[in-house]
Amino acid sequence: MNLRMKKIVLSMGICLLSGLGTTNLFAQQDQNAGIIKSSLAGLEYEVKAGFNIGGTAPLPLPAEIRNIKSYNPSLSIGIEGNITKWFGLDRKWGGRIAVRLENKGMTTDARVKNYGMEIIGDGGERVKGNWTGDVKTKVKNSYITVPVLIVYRFNNRLRGNIGAFASYMTEGDFSGHVYDGYLREGDPTGNKVIFADGKTAPYDFSKDLSRFVWGPEAGIEWRAFKHLNVCGDLTWGVNDVFKKDFDTITFSMFPIYLNIGFAYLF
Amino acid sequence: MKFAHLLVCIAFGMTLVSCIRDEALNAEADIVSCKLPGDILKRDPIIENTKVTITVNPEANLKHLAPEFELTPGATISPASGTALDFSLPQYYTVTSEDKNWSKKYEVVCIMSGSITNYHFENVKSYANALLKYSYDILFENDENGNWSMDWASGNAGFALTGSGNMDKSSFPTSSTAEGKEGKGLKLVTMSTGDFGNKVGMPIAAGNLFLGWFDVASSMVNPLKATRLGVPCSYVPLYLKGYYKYKAGDVYKDSAGKIYDNVKDKWDAYAIFYETDDSVKIIDASTRFTNSHLISIARLSDSERVESSEWKEFNIPFVTISGKSVDEEKLKAGKYNISIVLSSSMDGDTFKGAIGSTLYIDELELIH
Repeated sequence: MNLRMKKIVLSMGICLLSGLGTTNLFAQQDQNAGIIKSSLAGLEYEVKAGFNIGGTAPLPLPAEIRNIKSYNPSLSIGIEGNITKWFGLDRKWGGRIAVRLENKGMTTDARVKNYGMEIIGDGGERVKGNWTGDVKTKVKNSYITVPVLIVYRFNNRLRGNIGAFASYMTEGDFSGHVYDGYLREGDPTGNKVIFADGKTAPYDFSKDLSRFVWGPEAGIEWRAFKHLNVCGDLTWGVNDVFKKDFDTITFSMFPIYLNIGFAYLF
Repeated sequence: MKFAHLLVCIAFGMTLVSCIRDEALNAEADIVSCKLPGDILKRDPIIENTKVTITVNPEANLKHLAPEFELTPGATISPASGTALDFSLPQYYTVTSEDKNWSKKYEVVCIMSGSITNYHFENVKSYANALLKYSYDILFENDENGNWSMDWASGNAGFALTGSGNMDKSSFPTSSTAEGKEGKGLKLVTMSTGDFGNKVGMPIAAGNLFLGWFDVASSMVNPLKATRLGVPCSYVPLYLKGYYKYKAGDVYKDSAGKIYDNVKDKWDAYAIFYETDDSVKIIDASTRFTNSHLISIARLSDSERVESSEWKEFNIPFVTISGKSVDEEKLKAGKYNISIVLSSSMDGDTFKGAIGSTLYIDELELIH
């Protein structure tokens, strides 16, 4: 995993730099003039790339979840372009608007007790009940996100930002399977059905995911080189990732992710 | 990058783990076991989700029986465990969960033995689940005095789990039909178990009816073992007789969905008679023809498993397994079991058959 991530970081970096290099060769004069003009007007442009690490999780954890046996952030990438407008002569404060394409994902393996479950088959068959046992969950959602932020410059190297984001989900996957446990059909007094010896039952709640997610966002940027920032941004979704009428999972789940990456500052 | 990644993973993981809350009180309200004092039990009590069947010796006094129940931890029962009640009629108990949010009503019945030998399929009750919107038939038989004698077992509860059934009772593989040979009859249909059944490797359900009980709990893990064949028997059976109509479905498939063009589905009827002891109290479908406790088997021959659009009689002799005989003393002591099994697809137990195969049965009789 780490080796794979390193490779991807490296190749992304090479792409970014070679892309910029090519542009420079052909339009260095024009571009420089443009940037200088923008800079004089207090405008700054940035391209960011990084990894989203976090979880789509209930907070606080409901009593139904007894143990989290494994958690993997999986590979989730965010790519962002943003414009910052600096205010005043000292240019300490600024406003930023951005567009970000990102994935937010994870896989978990948890032990639950009396956890609401529903499986809807392709033919519309409903299998509903309360599950006690192990649940594997995979989340992989793609979003177009627009953050609006206030930026503060602590010094030449360090900046912080705070604001809010709104995301539109372009594609969503929330699925998994249950194993090693039993289902009470319908409710806790229903027929008990044991799943053991490798028998599993798949579920897929992808269709029940809500299209919109919003919440606060905050981050810091550290200027490593003249044009290169290292940054970390926390996005905290405050509305349930599931639609309002979805009541199979009895608790709300929120996407909480930290994006760690690099930014190229023009 | 690597370090930061690791750090965040650890931090996030620890946050979640440290947030695990105290365990909630139990929401289940089950009778886990049932004990009766002395040696009046002829068989282990059969505990289903809302019913306990206690088979007692003929000399037991049903007027004053005080069964003791073990429940889901923390649950309570009313009337209290150990209360003496009159079990010449069914008694009802209510179990309430530890968290007090759920309760379940159990019917507790005592039977002396399954002594009836004529099965007319005239009596039907239903099991309905309002929450999941399905209902299916449970066929039962009364004795000559019109008192309840036994419920037939079927795989309907397992089919219900696949979500393929609905409020129409004929949407289930095993149902009652108004068009019997005389009065009502039995209708068995091989059906698709839909997407869910397919995903768990059980794409069809053959209509089936048998003497014994179906253990829904273990039906997903091992459907053959969940099919428990046998009720007490106090006579030596000679023939299994009855009437049938049969139409095979069009496309014969195996459990992987592979189509066999040259195979035609067949129906099945058989009965097994076997001895019980402390190690073998009941035989499940996995050893129904091979168990060493079997005494005799009545089985249709292949030439008899044919289609018929009119009611046609079948009369199958019990064939004693070589070297086996019946001990009169043990017969009197109620040590033998019998089971009858009817199915709309002969290989339905291994999920092979043709969807739509339909078997009608009526006026079944065990001749002894």
